[in-house]
Amino acid sequence: MATVKDRSSSRTALPDTGAADRDAPSRPGIRLRSPRRRRRLLGLAYLAPALLIYAYVVLLPAGQGLQLSFYHWDGVTSASWAGLANYTGFLTDATLRQAVTHTLFFILFFSVLPIILGLISAALTARKDVRGAGFYRSVIFLPQVLTPAVVAVVWKQIYAPDGPLNSVLTAVGLGGLARGWLGDFTWALPALGLAGTWAAYGLCMVLFVAGTHTIPGELYDAARMDGAGPVREFFTVTLPGLRGQLAVVLTLTLLGAIRVFDIVWLTTKGGPGTSTITPTVVLYQRAFTNPDVGAACAIGVVLALVSLLVSLVVVKLAEGADR
Amino acid sequence: MISKREKVFNYTFLTLLAVGVLFPVLWILGVAVSPDIAGTLDLRHLQWSNFAEAWRQAGFTGYLKSSLVITGTAVTASTVLAVLSGYAFGVLGVVGERVLFPVLLFGIMIPMEAIIVPLYYDFQAQGLTDTYQGIILAHVGMGVSFGAFWMRAAFRAVPPSIGESAQMDGANSWTMLWRVYLPIARPAVLTFVLLSFMWTWNDYFLSLILVSDPSHQPMTLGLGAFSGRYLVHVNLLAAAAVLICLPVVVLYLFFQRQFIRGMLSGAVKG
Repeated sequence: MATVKDRSSSRTALPDTGAADRDAPSRPGIRLRSPRRRRRLLGLAYLAPALLIYAYVVLLPAGQGLQLSFYHWDGVTSASWAGLANYTGFLTDATLRQAVTHTLFFILFFSVLPIILGLISAALTARKDVRGAGFYRSVIFLPQVLTPAVVAVVWKQIYAPDGPLNSVLTAVGLGGLARGWLGDFTWALPALGLAGTWAAYGLCMVLFVAGTHTIPGELYDAARMDGAGPVREFFTVTLPGLRGQLAVVLTLTLLGAIRVFDIVWLTTKGGPGTSTITPTVVLYQRAFTNPDVGAACAIGVVLALVSLLVSLVVVKLAEGADR
Repeated sequence: MISKREKVFNYTFLTLLAVGVLFPVLWILGVAVSPDIAGTLDLRHLQWSNFAEAWRQAGFTGYLKSSLVITGTAVTASTVLAVLSGYAFGVLGVVGERVLFPVLLFGIMIPMEAIIVPLYYDFQAQGLTDTYQGIILAHVGMGVSFGAFWMRAAFRAVPPSIGESAQMDGANSWTMLWRVYLPIARPAVLTFVLLSFMWTWNDYFLSLILVSDPSHQPMTLGLGAFSGRYLVHVNLLAAAAVLICLPVVVLYLFFQRQFIRGMLSGAVKG
């Protein structure tokens, strides 16, 4: 979904082959194979290997998934028509409904919270020579490149009954609060959420800080001249200047929140009970532990639609901001 | 321009956040060299043998081999396809581009979770589950969209006059790609290779579903199995975790700029 501008410009940059052919003068009625068209056929040949693999690995299963979502299938015996039954599960199935609620909760921790923290950090460092900015940047961005499976293992230990979080709490006299965080029906979900905030914060901060460097300095000077304090300066200059970055971050973190799997699966497997279950965990269980393949595919289709919708809406918002 | 107090406050805030981000990383590093199997930090008695012991107990030699085979092949193939398709879209033009390019972009937007279930049953029918070919094919296929998108942008940034003058000299499309375009686009290729390496090395979900045979599983699944054992030695688990992260972190230390630029451009893999 990268840069929005690039996509819209591609349309105008497309050469109109028809025109070249029509302009071929001498023989009316015969469409000459212009060099440009030959070139574009050659282009297709260069693209062909990638396209074939893509069609087999992405397009074909996407189509099959859509089809299967209208059937009941256990993965072995023959499938039977289900109509919309797999989709109505989103309304009737308690586990699935709970998973959707958790997604909304995760959006708060994976998207909203890191964005707020990122904006504050960017505002604080905007236009100020923070010495060692490069160092802060590399450290704060680090979680982005760590293996998610490792991150999951690390947080599992941090939240363990005899883990460092409880040691710290005990050390500062709050031992009463200590618990096995991930085994707790109330606290497991926010605990996993905070791990997500930890991972996403770096991306937000680095992108926003880079964004503030592109805001013209005169805007800040003008705001100061008008007597704006840091807060008003933030809302009138910094925030509007970061709309493009905000769009990228929103897309990435929202998509991340929608598809959370690794950290949940490797720590709680959705438990205790179903208190940390997510749509992708339900999808995995339906597909493989007790196969109800149609239901799993319906979850996949809904995830895909929601993801597409999020990407498109955010892109539209950003385009609107550009104008 | 800004007051001293403001400056102190800013540094304190940033430092607190940096410490918060670093804490889990430093803690796991510390535990990885501590002797206590319950995972208590003890930096007075560093026990470096934890790494070797963790390696042995988790059976990492086999997992490492799988990780290397999968990542090496998938990254190479993805890069070749990215260059070819980016060249096609960015320089040559493609018949049906108006349809084909959006179709490829679709792959960036839909999450792999949405297609993994039918893909698993397809692979099962073709005998591709539990094979290197299968998991590699899946990684490559899901990397196509971003690769085409990324390299197209890189090739489009090359001034057309350079390509035209090479064409005047009679270079065909293949020599032009190798002699003219690839050398100029080398930084973009490097970024793509790094991101592709990171995504493939770090993958857990795809391998979890497509590879259930431990002798073909990558290290991330090896870690999952190790951490799921009944009696976990936390310090060994920490050591194993550190070892898995190491290749990507080392690359990150050297190529920070490329990683950050690539990921900030909105790069995601399927």
